[in-house]
Amino acid sequence: MHGNTPLLSIRELKKVYKTREGELEALGSVTFDIYPQEFVSIVGPSGCGKTTLLKIIAGLLPKTSGEIFVDKKQFDPSREVGFVFQKPLLLPWRKVIDNVLLPIEILKLDKRNYIEKARALLELVGLSGFENNYPNELSGGMQQRVSIARALIHDPKLILMDEPFGALDALTRERMNLELLRIWSESQKTILFVTHGIQEAIFLSDRVIILSARPSRMIKALDIELPRPRTMEVRSSAEFGVYSLEVYRCLELT
Amino acid sequence: MNHVLKSTDSLTPPSRLNALIRWVTRSIQKNLNSIFVVLGFFLLWEAAVWVFRIPPFILPAPSTALSHLLFPRAEANYRWSYHISSTVLAISLSFVATSTVGILIAIALAWSKRLKEIILPAFVFINSLPIIAIAPIILLWMGYGVFTNMVIAFLVGFFPVVINTITGLEAVDEDLLDLVRYLHASKLQVFLKIRIPNALPYIFSGLKICSTMSIVGAIVGEFIASDRGLGYIIINAQYSMNTPPIFSSLILISLAGALLFTLVSLLERILMPWTAFEAEP
Repeated sequence: MHGNTPLLSIRELKKVYKTREGELEALGSVTFDIYPQEFVSIVGPSGCGKTTLLKIIAGLLPKTSGEIFVDKKQFDPSREVGFVFQKPLLLPWRKVIDNVLLPIEILKLDKRNYIEKARALLELVGLSGFENNYPNELSGGMQQRVSIARALIHDPKLILMDEPFGALDALTRERMNLELLRIWSESQKTILFVTHGIQEAIFLSDRVIILSARPSRMIKALDIELPRPRTMEVRSSAEFGVYSLEVYRCLELT
Repeated sequence: MNHVLKSTDSLTPPSRLNALIRWVTRSIQKNLNSIFVVLGFFLLWEAAVWVFRIPPFILPAPSTALSHLLFPRAEANYRWSYHISSTVLAISLSFVATSTVGILIAIALAWSKRLKEIILPAFVFINSLPIIAIAPIILLWMGYGVFTNMVIAFLVGFFPVVINTITGLEAVDEDLLDLVRYLHASKLQVFLKIRIPNALPYIFSGLKICSTMSIVGAIVGEFIASDRGLGYIIINAQYSMNTPPIFSSLILISLAGALLFTLVSLLERILMPWTAFEAEP
């Protein structure tokens, strides 16, 4: 399926937290590749180290052992990664457009070159006309759209998303899923998406990586071969049901 | 897939102007009420003095206090404009110095954990000293003058500014720090772009306390270490049992307090425009 070289390779990645009670193995041993423009989801029971995995990739947590590399080279997360957190984490004192431009300022790039891009990204996430609003004037769903635009502004290859729609109501969440697929295909980014929503993972992804409970190991990487572009109808298809059952089986929910 | 776009989320930008107008009208309404309360209080006071025939050396009517201000008596010929301007100068210099130094100290302490661990307990100690008790020593060291007033006011007022500012600088969502950390933000960037703006609401509540404290400090300073100002008038008039000028001074001091507080609130509104548009309850 993937003829090209992986964008990101993860080899036997382990994370052990040292606590007062002793060592806590948060991430057993995880190995997988992500290919350019792929949409990969990670599902697993809570506490299985999904967030830990994303934070290690983003360089927010040190790994205990294992390797992360791009084309056999170590990679610099600050340039290659855009992170979307569960909370929108917008700065209330900055207007929407200035929130989108925050990574540019932190990376000390020339802001003037990115203002047009910020506007285009806000249009991409469906928020043109809101550039000069403050975040607290926007709904939760809109705030999360801003944070997606912010993750894209410095043109990273890989977007890490940590349950980005977990705090939204069910209806908004469904809508954001469809939006995300559109944003993904238009921006041609690679997305690594952490969720505990199995339906959500199958609906969005090319591949669903299923992790076991702690200490987590990879149970399976399930290729989802549903046709794209995907619409809500796909969710009621027989194949979708088969994939769901497969994930449930892997997580021993059946 | 475009049909799914933009359905539940409201897509008309909320009108900022309307929100601002609403805020202004609301604050005027609120202040109107308190003006009525203050006026009512003065009327009651005036009436009580006349009805119970209270002698002015015990409690002068507000009208008597006011007339002393406008038409100085021969027996207590205070140069009001001179004393008022002296107190206003002491209060404003104290407030500006205390808040500036307090904020800078707080930033330094939040920057270096080590420094904070060493210095903050000392501040708690200094803050616990009764200012009335140490003011004479300061007078002894520094002599009469506005600068002495400022030092006394600083000792009363710096603590709330420092504590509030440190709290604000440290009350940052861990996740928010992750957001800039993965982009390799420097410590300076974290302070300039996250911590300091995040601390603004805390700084302003510190400044509001400091505005009151600056007045206490300046007046106490004038009690002890000055030959001018409203604090001096209070002490001087007290010696001669000349009560009305004391009340004139008290009214002026509370006016100054209200004015300074309003100015701080106004500055807060101007520096933090985003708070004006918070969702209506």
